[in-house]
Amino acid sequence: MPNTVELENVCKSYDHFVAVDALSLEIRAGSVYGLLGPNGAGKTSTIRMMIGITVPDSGAIRVFGEPFRRQHLSRIGYLPEERGLYKRMKLLDQLVFLAELKGVPAAEAARKATEWCERLELGAWMGKKIEELSKGMQQKVQFIATLLHDPALLILDEPFAGLDPANAVALKDVLLEMKQAGRTILFSTHRMDQVERLCDSICLIDHGKAVLQGDLKQIKAKFGRHDVQLKYEGEDNFLSDGELVQSFNNYGNYVEVRLKPGADPQDLLRLAASRARVDKFELMEPSLEEIFLEVVGRRDA
Amino acid sequence: MRNTWLIIRREYLERVRTKSFIVSTLLLPALMIALMVLPSKLATLKASGTKRLAVVCANPDFARAVQSQLEAGKIETDKLDTSPRYKVEIVSTPDEATRAALKGRIGAGTLDGYVWLSDDALASRKISYVARETSDFIEAATLQSALKTALLRQELRSRGVAAEDADKLMKGVDLDTVSIKGGQEKKGGGPLQFLSAIVLVMMLYMTLILYGVAVMRSVLEEKTSRVMEVVLSSATAKELMAGKILGVGAVALTQIALWVVIGLGATTPGLLAARNQLSEINLSPAALPAFAVFFVLGFLLYSALYAALGAMVNSEQEAQQWQFLVVMPIIIPIVMMTYVIRQPNAPLSMWMSLVPFFAPILMYIRVVVQMPPLWQIGVCIALLLLTLWGVVTLCSRIYRVGILMYGKKPTLPEIVKWIRYA
Repeated sequence: MPNTVELENVCKSYDHFVAVDALSLEIRAGSVYGLLGPNGAGKTSTIRMMIGITVPDSGAIRVFGEPFRRQHLSRIGYLPEERGLYKRMKLLDQLVFLAELKGVPAAEAARKATEWCERLELGAWMGKKIEELSKGMQQKVQFIATLLHDPALLILDEPFAGLDPANAVALKDVLLEMKQAGRTILFSTHRMDQVERLCDSICLIDHGKAVLQGDLKQIKAKFGRHDVQLKYEGEDNFLSDGELVQSFNNYGNYVEVRLKPGADPQDLLRLAASRARVDKFELMEPSLEEIFLEVVGRRDA
Repeated sequence: MRNTWLIIRREYLERVRTKSFIVSTLLLPALMIALMVLPSKLATLKASGTKRLAVVCANPDFARAVQSQLEAGKIETDKLDTSPRYKVEIVSTPDEATRAALKGRIGAGTLDGYVWLSDDALASRKISYVARETSDFIEAATLQSALKTALLRQELRSRGVAAEDADKLMKGVDLDTVSIKGGQEKKGGGPLQFLSAIVLVMMLYMTLILYGVAVMRSVLEEKTSRVMEVVLSSATAKELMAGKILGVGAVALTQIALWVVIGLGATTPGLLAARNQLSEINLSPAALPAFAVFFVLGFLLYSALYAALGAMVNSEQEAQQWQFLVVMPIIIPIVMMTYVIRQPNAPLSMWMSLVPFFAPILMYIRVVVQMPPLWQIGVCIALLLLTLWGVVTLCSRIYRVGILMYGKKPTLPEIVKWIRYA
């Protein structure tokens, strides 16, 4: 199966500002992919080129194994970061209109829209105008609009922004279902903590350039396991072991320890257990955010 | 194509269903009819009741002449009401006692006014009219003309002209205007033709502006509500702009058609009653097809400009600052309108009516008032189509970039840059 999206050396600049700089990436079919980076890193510009809203200055974009064509759009669902619906249009009319633009026949669109509205507790609101709905409901409507044509590729720009916890869980459940059904999902967000549990692969971008990309597990393995959280009662002189400990942050009987590169955490556990009573010992995975800051910091330094 | 059609349909249905569409469709004809009917009703109201006047004159023949002249005048505004405008009594003693007595009666309200026709006054032709109210200038004119006619008649008689000869001499003149067109005589229209041309042109002008602004608002709404980006993930900017302009245009045509139907329905009885005056209106048979052609071309031209304007700005207020750029080329022909109606074939009229931005209104006026040579219409439409193509190309470029630019007000060099993006 071909990769769902492939970017090869894609560049895009506006006036004097380089938004995307020689970016290459591959999104495997059926995977959940995270396009991560701070605000203004070039995420939205990249996505807009994938769906033909803008055209790259140079480089190649392939979608579903072929150079991008507008016909591909009927198989792509897009939730833009800037949410928006026709305010004075009724909920159901709106969903049917947007689905029809994707090529879904009106009757089928109405049936599917009704199903989704029932599922996301919007059933009673289908005849209401969008402006009468709460912000959270509008978000759900927008989300349904990206799903109605059962897209093979779902592109979600900051999907969790502004969602309350209950709706965020509902959204996550739907996305997991989509994943199990073999759909490809592309997340774009600056809130890395929100998606790191969902993603298979990621691409971290900064100033339009990819700074880190690949399989999330491998990345974590590569970057990590230097930090230990430890709860203890008794002596704390094991912390001053220069062989193992690089630095620590002691809160009394709870301490966060950064190990020296190459040190085995098990050695620290044995050492600590010999001096004190250890209640809890946990290897901390670095969060994506920490990895990002580390990579960017290293590059800038 | 399918996308454009879907966008047209959405735009059309959403607009036609709004309350404001229904209200404006019904309200405008009601307003027009009220404007036509109310003033004449009001005038009748004011002129109702017969005024009691006294003519003070020592010469009984002259007094009677003035009396019959005044009493012959009917209240003109309502054809069914035949009550005379004035009831005139004759007082034959122009002295101070009479003057005092008449003043007393005016004060008491049993008399509305008197005309003082002493021999001196007649000789010097300086006559005084004393009344409770003297502000009615139409009344002053009526009195003036009655006195002048009576004096003239008396003068003629005193020079030995027989009464019936005097009547013949004083008969008014009817002016029949005839224009020669291609060797054929055509009865020319009077003020009614002028009026009907103005009504048609104002209708064209109003719909051009109203619906051009509607296109702009609609673009702006998609931009401010940020729905643009969702739609753009399915349709191109070109499809979106075309769908929007055609959808709003279809709404405009629907509304005009409804206005015509309602207008005809409401005024048919009146039109039948006024058949004779209406036959004086000599509109060219091309007036209606030309309305359709110039409305469609003019609307496409101006709505493309309005669409680009809507895409450039971020709010209504910002749009208002720029709107004069688009409104100006519509205002100029309106300023020229009277000149072109009066002199449809003058060189200035011809050249101005060929300018594409003025053509929808000025060439239309010429077609309505006096059919210009066909080659001029041909050249005009060709130029208009060419300009339309250029404007749509430019505007769709501005539109394509503008709709995704949020927040910042674009400067002129930036807009030029947008146009240059391939």
